Order: sequence, then structure tokens, then C-alpha cells
Amino acid sequence: MLPLSIKDDEYKPAKFNLLLKLSGWFRSILADKTSRNLFFFLCLNLSFAFVELSYGIWSNSLGLISDSFHMFFDCTALLAGLAASVISRWRSNDSFSYGYVRAEVLAGFVNGLFLIFTAFFIFSEGVERALEPPDVHHERLLPVSVAGLLVNLVGIFVFQHGGHGHSHGDGGHGHSHSLFNGSLNHGHGGHDHDGHSHHGHGHDGHGHSHDKHGHGGHGHSHGGHEESHCHNELRRSEGSSKQILQGVLLHIIADTLGSIGVIISALLMQKYELMIADPICSMLIAILIGVSVVPLLKESIGILMQRTPPSLDNALPECYQRVQQLQGVYNLQEPHFWTLCTDVYIGTLKLLVAPDADSRWILSQTHNIFTQAGVRQLYVQIEMAAM
Amino acid sequence: MACEPNRARLLCMLSLTFSFFIVEVVVSRLTSSLSMLSDSFHMLSDVIALVVALVAVRFAEKTHSTNKNTFGWIRAEVMGALVNAVFLTALCFTIVLEAVERFTEPKEIETPEVVAGVGAAGLLVNLLGLCLFHGHAGGGHGHSHGGHSHGAKGKRGKTEKFQKAGNGSAAEETNNLVGNHNSPGDGRSRTDVSCKDNPEVQMNGNAHFDELDHDSSAQLNMRGVFLHVLGDALGSVIVVVNSLIFTFVWKPCKGPNCVNPCINSHATDHQHVNHTVVSLNADKSEVAGPCWVLYLDPTLCIIMVGILLYTTYPLLKESALILLQTVPKQINIHRVNERLLSLDGVLAIHELHIWQLAGSRIIATAHIKCHDPTSYMEVAKRIKDFFHDEGIHATTIQPEFVTFSSESRDSLCELSCRTQCAPKLCCGSADKQKAGVDSKAAAAPSALEVISETPEQAAEIQVRPRTEDEATIAREVESSL
Repeated sequence: MLPLSIKDDEYKPAKFNLLLKLSGWFRSILADKTSRNLFFFLCLNLSFAFVELSYGIWSNSLGLISDSFHMFFDCTALLAGLAASVISRWRSNDSFSYGYVRAEVLAGFVNGLFLIFTAFFIFSEGVERALEPPDVHHERLLPVSVAGLLVNLVGIFVFQHGGHGHSHGDGGHGHSHSLFNGSLNHGHGGHDHDGHSHHGHGHDGHGHSHDKHGHGGHGHSHGGHEESHCHNELRRSEGSSKQILQGVLLHIIADTLGSIGVIISALLMQKYELMIADPICSMLIAILIGVSVVPLLKESIGILMQRTPPSLDNALPECYQRVQQLQGVYNLQEPHFWTLCTDVYIGTLKLLVAPDADSRWILSQTHNIFTQAGVRQLYVQIEMAAM
Repeated sequence: MACEPNRARLLCMLSLTFSFFIVEVVVSRLTSSLSMLSDSFHMLSDVIALVVALVAVRFAEKTHSTNKNTFGWIRAEVMGALVNAVFLTALCFTIVLEAVERFTEPKEIETPEVVAGVGAAGLLVNLLGLCLFHGHAGGGHGHSHGGHSHGAKGKRGKTEKFQKAGNGSAAEETNNLVGNHNSPGDGRSRTDVSCKDNPEVQMNGNAHFDELDHDSSAQLNMRGVFLHVLGDALGSVIVVVNSLIFTFVWKPCKGPNCVNPCINSHATDHQHVNHTVVSLNADKSEVAGPCWVLYLDPTLCIIMVGILLYTTYPLLKESALILLQTVPKQINIHRVNERLLSLDGVLAIHELHIWQLAGSRIIATAHIKCHDPTSYMEVAKRIKDFFHDEGIHATTIQPEFVTFSSESRDSLCELSCRTQCAPKLCCGSADKQKAGVDSKAAAAPSALEVISETPEQAAEIQVRPRTEDEATIAREVESSL
């Protein structure tokens, strides 16, 4: 083939245009509401952390410096959530036949792990401080603590209210605002209260019980997940960001309660000179965080371990019954149902049928039965029991 | 079984580390050294990592399917590896934080000798752990049967079963994947009998499968533990080096007029501190030792963090990729697709998904489109053989047929299949569902609603919710699979 033009651009490998890539990512971040919120909150956190860091360096306060580093640490959790929400929208390719949708489950899991680690770390620091109480400076503590609390409240508000789209408030990352001046609590508070509304979500149905924002989003999320690859960007964003958002909200709440704890303990120390209040607060808060993270971890672990979807636990035996009552079906074997990402269920099973059965009809009926239950991607292998 | 040595090693290391943790806590209380207390917490995190790995190993032994976990618990090892990798990363972050704190406010060690002693003991424990886990992490291919013997056993089992009449062919694959305890509902007695007959045949194959799978996924888990112990060993090395240097190089402040120039400010300039005191006793022995010693510790820590992150990253990536349901890296899905298409009788392949459960247990699902049911039996056998050769032993193939409506026109493409298949249908745009008529008639006795099988136009490839069922026909298939 004769070259038709001098320009041989197409034969050259594409140049890695960093700017192009970055702007592409940026656009995709801004496109979705979840990731937009996450991104803005990340910026807010980062700026607050920088401010705290510079103030700490300027005033030569070790506590503030270390607290700002803890805040950076929390920013990584936000970053993970953001990355997951962007990544889970990528298209499927040769290596990822299901697409990248599981990234959000993984991000929620990793966030939960980070939270547990943080709780453990705070607990250990609380113990250290209980045994060897350092002197604490209150003056610098309170204002920074209050500022941190405000930032966190903003985060809670943003992610809880987040969206018509986001039915689950996402947790932001709590900053470990333990205004640490000389080591106060790192309160990463447990998130109990705020948790109730969202925890309720976590507990109940793993997915569909979003009272507040829910029903609209709920309907959407179902619609979105009918597509087998979770590709439908419009409708997917509601349901599938659940894990990320839950992890992030847990983080924010943890931090808020931490700030509150710090304020309380600072007041206690100022008024009543109870130096022991600080480590005790830390330890309590660490325990609270640990306890509150457990539902998120359980859910993520269930999904990652290919467990049968909990929301189908009741529906599946009924479906098996119905299938086995179909004419010609002898037995249903090896059912495997698992969750790909939020609200997307995949199943495989094998049917043993009579030789004279109309397997086509059986198949379509089976698909129908399971579609009613919510499993949209089903693989049914039919085997004939030879006479 | 393969798990036993793992478990024994983990238990041994766990008890050693835990007792050492207790020792460190006690010593830190006795010498009231804060750094030893924090080091003991590092040991505690090590203990936690070992516990996680142990739990994962225990869980992963239960490879039988349960009601809730139909795939069994074998993925627990991958999860254990991921948890360990994440903990290690988080630990690295905190070490960086502490190192930076030390940079801004250097601390000196009070009793370096004790610290050196305890550090050396910790190093010994960690080196022992490294030896214990090193063989495993390096890729202990203790069971080097390779895939072939498995294949042979599996095939032998298969042919034996072939002769048994009325076998659920599912049994073989079931046993290969997980123990089949979970057939819901009551099967006929014939199938029950056949399922019971099979286990003896399958047991050998099953045990070998278990070993091999356990090995390769256990490797991931053990690698996580190894990295954790490596991190701890490096930490101990740093502690020992630091305390040794402190003992020999550092001149601590002893007298009442001593000034420690390194600690009060960020400035490293010794001479500018507190002129009033220094000018009186401008004597070397009254000034605490060289300041650079104080910065040695954080520097070494940061180097250690770099090493750890570099070695942890592959483990993190690998376990995350398995959990993200990626196609295993040794399988080229394009090639699989092409080779499947090249088999006789296979018209099209849709929805091919291959993913790794754990270790070498790979699962594949696909829709295969063929001409008609009679040829399907042959094709299905070839397909399953093909997958077995690739090392994929748990497959679920949903057949779709192009049936030429028996009464009339041959050239009709039947199917409503999913949207993605629409362009791959043989007849392109002309496939309205005439076959829909058949299914509707057949669906009459069903109590369920009639499925409308209108397929999308071939041109429309939009993503549509699958509320309508595609007429995926699977006719009677010989249970030779």
C-alpha cells in the first residue's frame, strides 16, 4: 500500500500527553456528583491540613504538626474513595471482563481497614499518654479543634445530603483532628449517631434501605444495574457508590466525634485539671471507631468473598422451589450467586431436566424467575438426565 | 495437607512474637522508655498480621460450599494477603509521620544499652521468622505435580463417569470446585445415587486440586506475612544500629550545667544557643554529643519505609487484581475467544467471563451459540475439553440455538439474545422474533408471566434492561460434560 500522505502520525505510538490525561480525569471527576463532592471535600481537607501544618511550623508546635500529618493521612482515604469512584466508571477491557466496578467495594474495604488501623493507633497512643502524660497546651488547641469540627460538619452535610443521586451519604474522611498539641486525643470519633441514618442503611439491607434519599435513587440504581456491566453511567452512580461513600462518611464522622472529644477533654482539663481525661477520651474514641467500622467491613468482606447476596437470602430458596416445580426439571444443582457491585447480582446454576422437556421454555422461565428476584445476569446450564 | 506446615509456622511465630511483645512492654515500663513502648506496639501489629494470616488459613481450609458462601471460603487467603498488605502500608505511613516528628524535635535515647539488647533479641526473633517464611514466600512449589496429573486424574474420573448412566455431570465440576453440599431441593433418587457414587472417584482429584490451589493462594497469604516480618526485622536492625551508635558516639549531658543544643530548636547550629550558659562553660564535655546522631534514626526509618513500600506493592496489586475479578494474567481472553470460535459448530460467543476465585481455581461462564441441539452435544464436549486444557475447570456454558423453526423457513435467525449479541447474529437485521411464537405457546401452562422475546434490532446496541428473556434454548444435553 502506498502511503497516501506524508503525515505518518497514525503509525507513531501515541504520545503520552500528561496534560491531556489529567484533564480527562478532571472532567470525569466533575461529571459525577459523588466524585465531585469527594473532590471538593478533599481539597477542603488538604487546604485545612496545609494551614495547620504551616501554623504548626510557624508556632513551633509539635502537636499541631503531627495533627496535620494525621489529616494528610485521612486525605489519603478520601483520595482512595475518589480514585475508586473514577475508576469504577472505566469501560471493561480484555483484562477486566466485568469492567472496573468492583473498585468501589475494594475502596470501601480498604477505607475500613485504614479506619481500624487508625483506631488501633489512637488506642496505643492513648495508652502511651496515660502512662506518661505529657504536658498539654490548651491555648492553641481549642481554636484549631473548633475549626476542624466545622470542616467536618461541612463534610457530613455535603455527603449526607449529597444527593439525589447519592442515596447513601458518603462518609468523608474524618480528619484526625486531634488537635494534638502535645498529644491529645486523636479523636477519630466513632460515628454512632450520625451513623444511625446511614448505619441503618448499612445494617438493613445492604443496599436498599435508604430512607431519606432513597426511593428515587433506589429506583435509579436498579435501573442502572440492569446492565450487566454496570456501564450505564447515568443511573449507576446512585447505587454503586455506596461502599465508597459509606467508608468516607465513616471517616468523617469518626473525625467529627474526635474533634468533639478533643474539645470536651480540653474543657475538662481546663476546668477541672483532669489530665487523665485526654487518654481516656482517646481510648473511648478508638473503641467507638472500631465498633462502627464493623458493618462496613462485614459487607465488603461478604461481597469480596463471593458470598450469596444478603438481600437475596430469602428470595433465593423460593426461586429454587419455583424452578424445580417447572415441568421437566428434575433438579437444580450448584447454584452460585454473588454480588459484582452494589445491586448487581450474577448467578450460575445447572438444571437437570427430563429428556423430553422443552428446555427452551424451561430456560426462559428460569430467567424470568430470577429476574423477578433481581438477578439479571444468569447462566443456566441445562443437562439432560439420560433415560 | 499443605496447610499444616503453614499453620504450624504461623502458630510458632505468633507465640514467639507475642511473648516478645510482653517482654518489651515490661522492659519499657521498667526503664520508662517511651520508644520501647512504641516499638512494642509495632510488635503488636505484627502479632495482628500473623493472626490475620492464621485466620485466613483456617478459613480457607473450608473449601466446601456452604449455604451462604457457595464458593467456599477459599478466597479468605487472598483477603488475608490484602489485609496484611494494607496494614503494612498504613504502618509505613505512621512510621513516616513519626520520623518527621523526630526530625522536627529530635529525641535522645536514655538507656541505649538496654534498647540495644532488646533490639537485638527482637532481631533474632524476626530473623527466625524470616527463615520460617522465606521458603514459602519464594514460591514453595512443594507440590510439583503440576497441572498435568490433575488433568489426568480429572479426565480419568470424567471418563469413568461417562459410562455411568444418568449422572449429573455437574458432580465432577462441583467436586472440582467446591464440595457439593448444596443442591437445594430434592433431587430424584437416581441423581442422588450418582452423586454419591462419584465422590470416591473424585476424591483423589479433589485432594490434589485442593493442595495445588491451596499452595498458590496460600503463597499470597504467606507472602503478606513474610513482608510484615521483613518490615519488623528491618525495624529491629534500625533500633540496634541506632542504639549502638548512641552508645559509642553520643556524649550525653551529665552535669548540671550541660546544654543540649540539638533539642530545643530546629536550628542545627550549635553555637547559637543560650549564650549565657555556654560562654561560661565553653567546654566540649558539657555539650551533648554530635547532633547528627539524633537525625540518624528518622533517616534510617524513611529508608526502611521506602524498601517496605517497594516490596509490598506487588503483593497489594496482585491480591487487589484477584478481588477485582480480572482475567487471570496467564489467560489471554482474546485467544480463548478465537479458539472457541474456531471449534466446529460454534457460531458465536457472548458474555465470556473468566475470573479467578483463588489460587488456581479459575471460573468461566459464557454463552455459546450453535446451530441446533443435536450438534450442541458434540460442541459442548469439545468446549469443556478446551477449557480443561486451559486450566479452567469450573465452567458454566449456556447454549443458545439458532433453530430453524421446524415448520418453515430455514433461514431465520431465531434469537433474542442480549443486546451485545445482536450484531453477531447470523442474519443481521432480519431477525425478528418469529420464534417468539413458539415460546409463547409453550409458555402457556406456566403460572408465570409470558416472556416476550422480542430481540433488539441488530442495529441497536443500546444497553437495555434485561427484563425480557432471551430465548436461550438449551436443549437436552448429554451429561457427558
